[in-house]
Amino acid sequence: MTAIALSTINEHLLKSIGVGVAILRYSDLNFQFYNAAFAEWFGDPADSEAIPEIIEKLRETAAEALRETGRYAGEVQVKPRRRTLIISIALSLAEIEGEKMLVAECQNITRMRELEQMIESYSSMVERNTRELEREKERVEKLLLNLMPRTVYEEFKTFGTVTPQLYRDVSVLMLDFVGFTSFAETNDPTVTLSELNDIFSTFDRIAEQFGVERIKTLGDAYLAVCGMPEPAPDHASAVASCAVRFLRYLERRNESHQYKWQARVGIASGAAVGSVVGVQKYVYDVFGPAVNLAARLQVFAHPMKIVAPVEMTYDLIDNFQVDEIGSYDIKGLGVKELINVSSTLTRVR
Amino acid sequence: MAGTTFEKYGGFGAVSKIVMDFYDLVLDSDSVGHHFDDIDMPRLMDHQTKFISALMGGPSSISDERLRMAHHKISITDAEFDEVAQMLVEVMQEHGVKADDIAQVVAAVEEKRPLIVRRDTS
Repeated sequence: MTAIALSTINEHLLKSIGVGVAILRYSDLNFQFYNAAFAEWFGDPADSEAIPEIIEKLRETAAEALRETGRYAGEVQVKPRRRTLIISIALSLAEIEGEKMLVAECQNITRMRELEQMIESYSSMVERNTRELEREKERVEKLLLNLMPRTVYEEFKTFGTVTPQLYRDVSVLMLDFVGFTSFAETNDPTVTLSELNDIFSTFDRIAEQFGVERIKTLGDAYLAVCGMPEPAPDHASAVASCAVRFLRYLERRNESHQYKWQARVGIASGAAVGSVVGVQKYVYDVFGPAVNLAARLQVFAHPMKIVAPVEMTYDLIDNFQVDEIGSYDIKGLGVKELINVSSTLTRVR
Repeated sequence: MAGTTFEKYGGFGAVSKIVMDFYDLVLDSDSVGHHFDDIDMPRLMDHQTKFISALMGGPSSISDERLRMAHHKISITDAEFDEVAQMLVEVMQEHGVKADDIAQVVAAVEEKRPLIVRRDTS
């Protein structure tokens, strides 16, 4: 009883499972058995168009593989209806009732293939998005680095905030153009802007060479510091070098440009506090006595002159022409002894 | 992207399952199935998944121009558009997408109707 029942169960199982099964006689590839799934994909072997084609296609490679290993695995495409199916075929040899048979196990791997393709496509999309984000991050970083020094940016990035910090030994440079307001009134704003942009960009490049950092421009005013956030032992001469070169650049530029610019420069050494100001609109700014003094002295300077407090003489005397110009009452800061700073280099005319 | 319909239902994994079931329905349809006779289905499914994801607020996008180009050479009628849209609704229902979220997707698909249905019927 059990033997009969088992073979019946086996047959039912073979007929109903989702795996396509077919058994062919090895000698003439005549179908001995096939189940429903097999017929669904390939059609009835008696009148299937697909089967002879597949047999033709696989015959040689399959025969070789079967000879060598007794197994063969491959894939074929069939289109029983609209959808092209990808079917994996595994062939093995068996001996049934004394005859050599070829057993074909087929699985529909269409969905798997579709999923694979989708996964591939999404991962490349994700990679692309990641690259874009990376580029965006770089842009943001670059923008923030325009607003604050790198060390401050690093602190900002790590802690989300910047602690105001006092720097005792810094030098500040403040530059302002003579007659800027009237220039701006009489010229097109785009002209004014392109002039400022051109000049300030050059200033930035000069400042960079001397390790001086531009903090901000406010209208036609240009504020730069040296010695903060990174300390610089020669901060005084660095800003003086910048100041001298700023003026020399303007002189040269005036020789060839339509618009002539004259500037006043004040420099000062002392303490300053640097911090990021604002929550939504971050600005790195500096405050303190050195900043105030430089701003005052700049106002006091004659066109195309650099004014500094006499205390800076010691720092500058080796590299610059220093001329005492006497004591003056500086608004809010009392009487100060002042010097003019200029280049010792002979002017190339 | 947080809080989008796309995320709510489980992202690309979920959408791709919806799309695959959707095409099972579409390909079986006697009235619209023929449009897909010679189509590279895996590729189409990939595009469709990105399209549906985009409609659900996901991180993909299919431009209108691309959509128009893709349907340009096929004469799709309003009735066919409606039938396919209805199949999408059915599949989303089967996948447990809530009615108002389905409505959102359908409305977004409806917006693209002029790009898909051929107007210059001659």
